[in-house]
Amino acid sequence: MKGYMGKILRVNLTDRSISTIDTKQYEQWGGGHGMGSAIFWDLVKDKTISAFDSRNVVTLMTSPLVGTLAPSAASRTEVQGIGPQAYPYEWFTRSNVGGRFAPMLKYAGWDGIVVEGKADSPVWLDIRNQDVKIRDASSLWGMDTYETQQEIWSDVNNGLDYGSWNQVGFGRDGGRSTQRPAVIAIGQAGENLSRIACLIHDAGNAAGQGGFGGVFGSKNLKAISVIGTGNVEVADPNALMQARIWMKEVHGYNVDEPLRESPVDNFSLYGTITRRPGFGALLLEVTEPSRPKGCVGCYMNCRKKTSTAYGNEASCVEAIFYTSDGPENANKATDLLQKYGINVYGILQHGYLRDLYKMGVMGPGKQIHSELPFEQYGKIEFAEALTKAIAYREDIGADLAEGLPRAIEKWGRLEDIESGLITLPNWGYNDHYDPRLEVEWSYGSILGDRDINEHCLNWSVHWLPLVCNAIDQEPIISAEDMVKTIASKLVIFDDPMMLDYSAEGIYSEAKAKMIYWHRHYTRFWKQSVLYCDWAWPFFVNANVPDFKGFTPEGEPKFFNAVTGSNITFEEGMEIGRKIWNLDRAIWILQGRHRDQEKFAGYVYDVPTSAPYALTAFENGKWVYSDCLDRSLDRQKFEDWKTMYYKLEGWDPSSGWPKRSTLNELGLGNVADELASKGKLGSE
Amino acid sequence: MANEPRKASRRDFLKVGSASLIGLSVGTLFPGGTWLDNKIYAIPASEGYLLVDTKKCAGCLSCMLACSLTHEGKENLSLSRIQIMQDSFVGFPNDITMSQCRQCAYPPCVEACPTKALHADENNGNIRVVETGKCIGCQRCIEACPYDSNRVVWNHESKHSQKCDLCANTPFWEEEGGPDGKQACVAVCPMNAIKFTKTIPTQSDSGYNVNLRNVHYGKTGFPTN
Repeated sequence: MKGYMGKILRVNLTDRSISTIDTKQYEQWGGGHGMGSAIFWDLVKDKTISAFDSRNVVTLMTSPLVGTLAPSAASRTEVQGIGPQAYPYEWFTRSNVGGRFAPMLKYAGWDGIVVEGKADSPVWLDIRNQDVKIRDASSLWGMDTYETQQEIWSDVNNGLDYGSWNQVGFGRDGGRSTQRPAVIAIGQAGENLSRIACLIHDAGNAAGQGGFGGVFGSKNLKAISVIGTGNVEVADPNALMQARIWMKEVHGYNVDEPLRESPVDNFSLYGTITRRPGFGALLLEVTEPSRPKGCVGCYMNCRKKTSTAYGNEASCVEAIFYTSDGPENANKATDLLQKYGINVYGILQHGYLRDLYKMGVMGPGKQIHSELPFEQYGKIEFAEALTKAIAYREDIGADLAEGLPRAIEKWGRLEDIESGLITLPNWGYNDHYDPRLEVEWSYGSILGDRDINEHCLNWSVHWLPLVCNAIDQEPIISAEDMVKTIASKLVIFDDPMMLDYSAEGIYSEAKAKMIYWHRHYTRFWKQSVLYCDWAWPFFVNANVPDFKGFTPEGEPKFFNAVTGSNITFEEGMEIGRKIWNLDRAIWILQGRHRDQEKFAGYVYDVPTSAPYALTAFENGKWVYSDCLDRSLDRQKFEDWKTMYYKLEGWDPSSGWPKRSTLNELGLGNVADELASKGKLGSE
Repeated sequence: MANEPRKASRRDFLKVGSASLIGLSVGTLFPGGTWLDNKIYAIPASEGYLLVDTKKCAGCLSCMLACSLTHEGKENLSLSRIQIMQDSFVGFPNDITMSQCRQCAYPPCVEACPTKALHADENNGNIRVVETGKCIGCQRCIEACPYDSNRVVWNHESKHSQKCDLCANTPFWEEEGGPDGKQACVAVCPMNAIKFTKTIPTQSDSGYNVNLRNVHYGKTGFPTN
């Protein structure tokens, strides 16, 4: 198939050897996550090792679409390995990052990077096309992620400034580039083995969840830099070009003449409906001269760059980490996270620390001793002190660097998680959308390894009615039309009841089908083909008169144009099912059992008290429900799990796949491994 | 990390002032003491130009991907005839540079080519193009381009120069290009930050004086001035 470069770079930091893996061995997985899981399965013989064990393997994978004009697919890198962030178990996990890194890796000739072992001193990886070197990073160690990248840029370009054509490799035939090398780096948090350290690329691209910054740190790997001047082959260039124009002209937000636009000016949140450029900072308005900013090949360009350069490229919660001290300081606080390399979701609920301070539990000489300037909470000075403490493991930062759940456990306050004083519903990950209500998110998370961060349905079923309501606008599409539109795109099911978030609907068989569809969709189309989470799938599109988005037509259209294959949407879903089962097997070898797949206590015991917006079938009609006064019922959820496991072909008593299921997917070897450990589901 | 100020040269003056040179008589003493050559007047003006609004560009590089795809049939940033350069750590608007061929009225690249491979294409609105069969790979056209980065691009695979032809010759795209057709970069730019025009744009050393941002763009909060 076209689109692949044919080789995966394999780097063993222990003996400093560099070799290659033939991509063909793993093409059946599509790319990205599927390939990463399969490589991890093959290379990590003992899946029970810890994240910081030198035998842990980290994969950074691309896909055939990376580096091409396939919209919002060109830029993504899927990062995998055992991650230290999840609590109480360090699951095999994933993170995903945009920007320029993945395409540059492909232009250099590589489909991915596999990092094994541990260097005996700090190193960085210098990739210039086929020329790969493990280089000394002792002068970079201690630098933040921005400084590190700029130092590497200068090194790769022999100290010369950018802005012109630069030679890559030797002689004029090695190729030239006007581009800066794409660098992914850790900051001080990663160096100090924080479990909430991330990988940062450029200003605002982070592989955040999972804790891969700490894993890089444990391997003494400061950064990976890549610059390439080669080609990504495309099977049908004309089809790809025409499909991209179709995407822009039919489905994209027309910046000059939008079909629908926000009734309120400078209101980023409305971009969740229209997907207009620069909406990524969500709650933050544009407060200084700025531009929208996109990852390579994007058709939306959700990010932003500002005249001060503060908060450049930041989006979503990293942009709203600390907004109480004005917009400029909000951006400065965000930059602190990016520079130290701290995952915002690891410390987003800093208000909990203030609560402990107010309760007299935390502070100078208190039960939890801390000299952080709590009296300045809300001011930038507190954010500066807090992030520095975490990055360098000072004060309570030493505990927080282990992640909030482990810090809370050490402080003897696990009841705060159970009561929901701090909301960490699944695997110690931060609350993202309400786990009692928006269950495709919470169920998907607890059945997996992390907060899933998959906005497939969320943009439509939650954000659209919420944002319209926020500005007193009648929802631009009725609840009934919305569920019918989405359902028509849920190949192979087409069942509107899958979108029912009512108190009954969340335990239904239709909801099991919804989760089944969602897990398989994201594992292939989103995390392996690497369509961006924020752009794909497209169910409800405000840029077309009838609201019908491009899913499921778009997904195979671009994949086939690039690769020259002829797969259908459904065939992609089936590969996704295979990947989901392989991941499941890895977790089972790590110790997974259905009994562990339970939420924090508050999810069951504390009813919702604030209005939320979700599609629901209530009293015989479709509405946008405010979902008040609801919690999850323990027994009903357990019964739902049984129904879901059966749908997946897993043994409901354990949650382990059956041999027949794995055989059907061509995973007989996985079944053998599970059987050898006594962990195969009963038929 | 800011963009480098471009080197001033005689050629700078020539290409900037070239639009107004048309009416000068042969033999006019050029400021700086250089006599203009007759051949300046032998090169007719291009009938098409790319307009770019650098403040509207989102740096997604889709134009580069489309350029490479339609001309070369594959994706390669180094072979794109339009180059977008950016720095993540610099503030707006100095964080992005768009480097498109200006189709100079007085094209130093044409002047520099010893084989006339780089010429004004009479069949396609006099756009300045490279006839690759005649190109001997001497790179003089690249060196002659007064802009940084050079708008004539070295194809390190085929060992010849190439440059923006306004999509007159896109073997991998079914659309007709050139001054009377479509341009790949214009067609895909999600920001509509690149437009085609038949009128010679007002330009200065720092670029075109172009504003493609209208009232709808302003409603999103981004500047239109």
